[in-house]
Amino acid sequence: MGFLLYWATQMDTMTIDLGIVYAFLFTSLYFEVFLLASFIERRLRGTQAPLPRNAELPSVAIVVPCFNEEKTIASTVHSLLTLEYAPEKLEIIVVDDGSTDQTLEIAQQFEQDPRVRIFHKENGGKHTAMNFALAHTPADLIGCLDADSVVESGALLAMVPVFNNPMVAAATPGIHVREPRTILQHMQNVEYRLSVFNRFALASLGSAFITPGPFSLFRTRIIKQLGEWRHGHATEDMEMALRIQDAGFLIANVPEAIVHTGTPRTFPALFRQRVRWTYGWLLNAIDYRHMFGNREYGNLGLIILPSAIISIFAGIYFFARIVFFSIRAIIASIERISATGVYPHASLDLFYFNTSALWFLIYMSVALVFALLCAGTLIGTESRLPPKATPLFLLFYSFLVPLWLSVAVFRAAFRTGVRWR
Amino acid sequence: MENPVISVRTARWGSYVVAFLITALMFATALYASNYFNNARINDIRATQDDISTDILSLETQFDLLAEHSCSDIGENTILPSELASLGNQLSYMEAQGAKSEEITRLKRTYSLLEIKDYLLMQQLAEKCKLKPVFILYFYSNKGDCADCENQGYVLTSLSQTYPQLRVYSFDYNLGIGALQTLISVYDIGHTLPALLINGKVYYGFKTTDDIQKILPQLKTLQKAASSTAVKK
Repeated sequence: MGFLLYWATQMDTMTIDLGIVYAFLFTSLYFEVFLLASFIERRLRGTQAPLPRNAELPSVAIVVPCFNEEKTIASTVHSLLTLEYAPEKLEIIVVDDGSTDQTLEIAQQFEQDPRVRIFHKENGGKHTAMNFALAHTPADLIGCLDADSVVESGALLAMVPVFNNPMVAAATPGIHVREPRTILQHMQNVEYRLSVFNRFALASLGSAFITPGPFSLFRTRIIKQLGEWRHGHATEDMEMALRIQDAGFLIANVPEAIVHTGTPRTFPALFRQRVRWTYGWLLNAIDYRHMFGNREYGNLGLIILPSAIISIFAGIYFFARIVFFSIRAIIASIERISATGVYPHASLDLFYFNTSALWFLIYMSVALVFALLCAGTLIGTESRLPPKATPLFLLFYSFLVPLWLSVAVFRAAFRTGVRWR
Repeated sequence: MENPVISVRTARWGSYVVAFLITALMFATALYASNYFNNARINDIRATQDDISTDILSLETQFDLLAEHSCSDIGENTILPSELASLGNQLSYMEAQGAKSEEITRLKRTYSLLEIKDYLLMQQLAEKCKLKPVFILYFYSNKGDCADCENQGYVLTSLSQTYPQLRVYSFDYNLGIGALQTLISVYDIGHTLPALLINGKVYYGFKTTDDIQKILPQLKTLQKAASSTAVKK
């Protein structure tokens, strides 16, 4: 300890800064390499065996919790009605969570279909709507579909076979952006491809820690055994996933089951959504801190959860560093121009191209993200080319992310609470 | 029966080690690539210095042969001032990047010697051939004891770009080479930096473009000369 302190006092700030940067870069590169290697290994092992033809399908209840979703509820329920699944085994439970608009009336138009049941309750949050449905269904599997999402017709049949494994408590689909229009939505479309990859790779490591709202399926018996959905710091999907992992069950992923979900059109809406996700993740991480670094939870405890936390702080540190150095450079330029009257000009001479090891590592990291994106696109859409907005995403998105990360960390530190909308 | 959760979730140390090795290999590649390009730059600088050195030697030889040749065979721009200036910029860049400081110091010594030789030769040429080259000798320090040196460097770089025939020789005051120390003592240049030696007179402290243009009125004639013929007799 004494030696470490002595060592620390001998180093200047710049050396410490570079040390932190290299440590964060090593960690993030290691995590990306680890995921890519696991993905390749999983692909080599082959995919999930399909359900035998004569096997009996489990009964499924898909819950649509909704609060003021009059614009999207009809398309969501309509997409569920097109699901290829034995009608007598499927029920669609719309739980109107105290909407003040026309959501209930629009949903009631579907009531003539024998698969659809509509409930209305006082507003209590998404988790209460899920619990309400849980108490009203005898189905083997219970799923959730946010009212801003639509599902492709083959999704349910693709997901059901993973429940052959009795230890599988939940399954997640491949989630894509629904009809991206704005530049921000196109960038999110790229981000979601990356998530398709991450969800698949994490599930293959037995380490998925989120069961997102758009079309996650759960084994009803296990959910009842674990207890109901909880508020989970406004991220009940993370809390439930961590609880499932804590109890030693598995969360599978089926990227072939495709769901399209609505995404925020504007930056303030995206910012609010992501602050809520990160805030919830941080506080759930504190609640489930006993899993971090714990060998009992294998990959999840040893690598995945610690990396997910480190990545938040790495993102904030890199961003703060870029802002600090940019401001310093701008001030120096202004001072220089006012002192000398000489305006700086960029040199196109290759001699001045930055070839420091740090930049090479950044280039490598971006190349790896691109590789993960291609992998996500391949398993999510069977296309080899990532979306056209990929260059925009790679250039600019990493500058947006730290904004909500920083605010979420601040709010989590002071437990300020977050708004859904 | 094998527990499916354990088989999926259990840490496979082999995978951790493989990922670690791949990441370490990527780090090693980045360090190697960076080192490779720095060496390529240093070799670039060394090659330019060799060229300039050869040019100076050639000019000296021509100068020795002056008795047999007329001044018209020797041009004021035989060694392009811009070449020396660009070499200086490249060296400052490498120094700022913190690349191989010993190697850079060695290159800076050679560069300073080339500058002194070019300066002396130009003075001799000017006398014999009635040329009117315009010199600025600039002394700086980058040890953190000269707050205005960086700005002075920008002003001089900009001036030499505006007037391509202006010869700016920059010297690191603290570079321990005999010839430079002699130059410093010959002109009695104190340790108040930045210092400019213009027309045999030393000016201390930061000087703006306007200041230098006032001190060196010949600059305006250079600008005119830059657009006409480069060689004067």
